[in-house]
Amino acid sequence: MIAIIDYGMGNLASVKKALDYLDLKNAITNNQQEIEAASAIILPGVGSFQQGMNNLHERELVEVLNHEVKIKKKPFWGICLGMQLIFSLGTEPHECNGLGWIKGKVVKIKNNGLRIPHMGWNTINPKIQSAFDEATIGDYYFIHSYHVLPEENDVIAATVSYQENLVASVLKENIFATQFHPEKSQDLGLSLLKKFFNAC
Amino acid sequence: MLKLRIIPILTFNGFALVKTKQFSNPRMVGNPVQAARVYNARKVDELVFLDIFASKNQREINLQLIRNVINECFMPVAIGGGISTLDDINDLLKIGADKVVIKSKAIFDKEFVQTAVRFFGSQCISISLDAYKIEEGYRIKSDSIKEPLTLEKFIEDMEEVDVGEYIVNSVDHDGMMNGFDLPLLEKISFMTNKPIVAVGGAGHPSHFSKLFQSTQIEAAGAASIYHFTQFTPMDVKQQLKKEKLPVRLP
Repeated sequence: MIAIIDYGMGNLASVKKALDYLDLKNAITNNQQEIEAASAIILPGVGSFQQGMNNLHERELVEVLNHEVKIKKKPFWGICLGMQLIFSLGTEPHECNGLGWIKGKVVKIKNNGLRIPHMGWNTINPKIQSAFDEATIGDYYFIHSYHVLPEENDVIAATVSYQENLVASVLKENIFATQFHPEKSQDLGLSLLKKFFNAC
Repeated sequence: MLKLRIIPILTFNGFALVKTKQFSNPRMVGNPVQAARVYNARKVDELVFLDIFASKNQREINLQLIRNVINECFMPVAIGGGISTLDDINDLLKIGADKVVIKSKAIFDKEFVQTAVRFFGSQCISISLDAYKIEEGYRIKSDSIKEPLTLEKFIEDMEEVDVGEYIVNSVDHDGMMNGFDLPLLEKISFMTNKPIVAVGGAGHPSHFSKLFQSTQIEAAGAASIYHFTQFTPMDVKQQLKKEKLPVRLP
């Protein structure tokens, strides 16, 4: 069973719908036992970094997530805000510590005359070849105003060009994360979900 | 590279899909769930679903129907109609809406929009506005206030509270199918660096090329062209591709 973490931050129904469509057993939950029993964990979410961390703390989810992902090395996928929260430091709206599984920080996209949020379909450029294949390279749906800056380049699984190259995905051992929304990216997103969870 | 977004807009009267001309004479054009299913199968970039009479008739949005519409969609969906409380927004996000579209309430309650942005994040708050031209400039159509706001004042207010995007409807071009309201859209595109969805007037794929070639806008919504002509969103994209504009062809 895949645990979709419910911490009051946004669109969980769409993630569930995508997993249901792929016949992957899943549950929206913030129950500790259920998260411990899960075979994999998805941390979705939209909204501000600080609110996200507050909500994880309030629901006492930080410890169980650390234990399941960092110590037990359970397959993990962070989506959008769920990707940003695994970094050490957020800045939205103020500086705030994240889960810290990947070193680096989350900052606002530079306003170089571009429209912000970065909203819509954009092509990813894979950097870690094993994370993507022919069926999962292409346009994904993005919607974000902040982006991650990892300290180490070797965790960058894919980039996306929005004037500068932004990090679209990171991969470190059992931890995978995407700034884009696979659950909103039609066939490509469904293929990527399938590829990831079939390998778990 | 970010692709131009081509977005079908479904307007709903509480029972069926309808399409207006210059915001009058609604004509029935079908069933919303069926339409959503067709657009999902056609892999459109995004869908906007608006209950255009909810505010006027002081009716709450039909959540069960919206749920059925969203269930058909594996692409982003924005939902609007009569949104006036944080609970309304929460209800829609919970059943899988990616963005909510606020219109009437935004005109006379900036604080509400601000609270919504703080609570849910600007990325999911889209502001819809109906602009029309008079001699002195553009005004925002509203049933609830006597002295209509100027376009400038309204955008200034919304910029202050950091909304996520604008859906700009041209009242004068609505349903006329004679091209987008380029002067209006050009004007507004310089007033903000948020994403803008241009709506009103599309009747032929060439209207979309003209919009993207002559303004800084990256998204176009339309309804009539998809209801009343043989053109599909894919035809529009093929035309844009021919003109070397960036589109997604799934």
